[in-house]
Amino acid sequence: MIWLNPAAWIGLLAIAGPILIHILVQRKAERLAFPSLRFLQQGRLASIRRHVLEDVPLLAIRAAIVVAAVAALAGPLIVTRTQRQAWNARVVRATVVDGVAPAAIQPPAFLSQTFETPAVADAIPRAVAWLENAPPARRELLIVGPLALGSVTADDLAGVPPGVGIRFERSGGLPAERSIAGGRVLALERDPSALREPQGRPEDTKGAAGSGSARAPSRAEGFGRAPGSESIVVQQQVTLKDVHTSVRETGAAAPDPFPVDVVCSTDARPIVDTAIAAVRSQRVWTPAANRRGRLVLLDSSIDPAAVADGGPVTQSWIADAIASIARDRDLHAAGAQTVAGLSDPRFSTMPWQPLLLATDGRPVAVAGASRASLVVVSGATPSGLVTPLLLRAMVNALGGPPDLRQAEVLPIPESQLRAWSRPPASVIAPPIDRVERDDRRWLWILVLALLALETWVRRANAEEKTSTYEEDARVA
Amino acid sequence: MSRDSGRDSGTGIRKSGVCPPEVLARIADLELVARIVVEGLVSGLHRSPFHGYSAEFSQYRHYRPGDDLKYVDWKLVARTDRLYTKQFRETTNMAATLVLDTSASMSFPKAVSKYRYAMILSAALAHIVSSQGDAVGLVAGPRMIPARAGRHNLRALLAALSGVEASGRWNAAETIRRAGERLNRRGLLLVLSDFYDEEDATFNELKRAARMGHEVVLFQMMSREEVEFPYKRDFEFADLETGRSVSVNAGLARREYTDAVAAFLERCRRRAGAEGFQYSLIVTDTPPAHGLRNFLLARQR
Repeated sequence: MIWLNPAAWIGLLAIAGPILIHILVQRKAERLAFPSLRFLQQGRLASIRRHVLEDVPLLAIRAAIVVAAVAALAGPLIVTRTQRQAWNARVVRATVVDGVAPAAIQPPAFLSQTFETPAVADAIPRAVAWLENAPPARRELLIVGPLALGSVTADDLAGVPPGVGIRFERSGGLPAERSIAGGRVLALERDPSALREPQGRPEDTKGAAGSGSARAPSRAEGFGRAPGSESIVVQQQVTLKDVHTSVRETGAAAPDPFPVDVVCSTDARPIVDTAIAAVRSQRVWTPAANRRGRLVLLDSSIDPAAVADGGPVTQSWIADAIASIARDRDLHAAGAQTVAGLSDPRFSTMPWQPLLLATDGRPVAVAGASRASLVVVSGATPSGLVTPLLLRAMVNALGGPPDLRQAEVLPIPESQLRAWSRPPASVIAPPIDRVERDDRRWLWILVLALLALETWVRRANAEEKTSTYEEDARVA
Repeated sequence: MSRDSGRDSGTGIRKSGVCPPEVLARIADLELVARIVVEGLVSGLHRSPFHGYSAEFSQYRHYRPGDDLKYVDWKLVARTDRLYTKQFRETTNMAATLVLDTSASMSFPKAVSKYRYAMILSAALAHIVSSQGDAVGLVAGPRMIPARAGRHNLRALLAALSGVEASGRWNAAETIRRAGERLNRRGLLLVLSDFYDEEDATFNELKRAARMGHEVVLFQMMSREEVEFPYKRDFEFADLETGRSVSVNAGLARREYTDAVAAFLERCRRRAGAEGFQYSLIVTDTPPAHGLRNFLLARQR
């Protein structure tokens, strides 16, 4: 037996009501004239009376009424084998349709609901919630659609309860194209007179889809101008259709700040600005907001102890960035032409990591971490080729191009769908509020019967009370 | 089986001829009540239970079934070949006084109170005694009827009985003493009471009456409720005489109460037997004729 609302059993405390009523009512004794009290002892009997309940059958009936009513409120459900078989024989199905639903879904469901959506991941939680509220039956989540790679992920299916079966049915063809947000590139500096509104016309580029295509971007067709600024930022969107990749760039409202702070002497500032502009013109990608770098260009006017407070690397992205900078071939080639490296011996030891070496064997630039940011110390002259290459390598290491493979239009492999699929589980304990009909009606009938019995007993007692005590004597 | 079984549905009188107390209690005329009780009673008795000193021949009458054969005039049978019974007019040689307890405790229960029952019994006894030609008197509360013979005195006694109500307290010893002293010669003292009041003083006075030469007969009047205590619930019992009350769970108190009452009744019976009194326990739900018959049969032995 299952109790659909077991919290109602707290109502058993109401049994105290009839008991209290009996105790209190019995305290009010009826007055009866009697010939002599010489054979009655008050003290002992009065004290006993306070602890004794009379009309025990009536009290029992009233207590039984309370118990039956509470049990009825608790919602009893007697689960028989037949009942369980009936529940297991039917299926409640939530169908998530991405595209066109098939004409007939087998086997037919006892109850079904269709969720048509362009985003399967968004519809799955709604379908699960509907299944949770369905009457007792085997529950199944059916996902119908072309099932392109990325349309359903393991994370989307992780929220489906274990008892709910999962099934996939392919329907319709794969989409002709798929778009993803490609990311943002740093602003390009252009002549304001050359600015115009974005047109959004894509340009196709031959070649395989992937980071290579993005790393070699197509020509920008449109730009957005930031109000009150001469800088221009570009938001890139990549569309892949079959093997063709199109890139559409749209303007952004405000230019992104340069992610690397450069510490240099005042004399070297114009040269550094030029180097930054040169890096921006290379269409490097904007890194995440929490990834920042600092480049210290040492010369005689800068105290290394004051600006280069490098420490050990504790975050993985900084380690990845240092490795990425160290792999930059252009940077290595330029460093090989540098005659002298950093003269300060501190930069030759840990925690500083050498990025490139001069011909004298000392490091030209070293990297470390400082307060969750990347720090690079360079001994190259600002006007040299190493400085802009180092800036570009740092920006690429901080951000990097987006992974455009996600935009590929491919079906989810059948093996993956089979791994995700599972049959609906049998009904073990039906949800509390979902049972169509429970067994509380029998208890309510019992309550009515007990009420009738209580009325009959109460009236019989009243008649007995009002009858003459001579009759009582004769009966006795 | 119900106690009312065998009762005629129209009159309430049992088919055996014994009238139940609740029917008798509804009849206001005590003389009629006494006659009903005695008629159902004396027909089975062959001899008068009250023995006088002498009897004077009065007349003959035809023999009736049930008549004592010793009164058949066998010489007349031989002459006439018919059965005649000799009738005697007994001279008044015995005086009986009925003493009724008029305390409030006798007014219980409401349907047929012990006092009403005692009135019926007294009327029947007076009727029997008077019909034998003996003198009968009454002491009931303030009313006192001297013991005299004759129908006129009987009617006065019954009228006095009807005019007395049970209320207040009853000085048993004083009443019995007065009744005993009023009997001029050795007589019969019939006391009808529940004997709740002043038990020792009452029996002392009865002993004194016995020493005076009176024959003492005790009718202890009890209701079924007093004997068996059939109550079950909580009650506040109020004493009819004192007004004092006790709250008692009757179901719990029953055993203790019935034991105490049984001991009390047994004590009364033993004290009466020890003093040579004739004792009868009368329970008010039995027909008066039954108690009276048993009493008369006991006197004949």
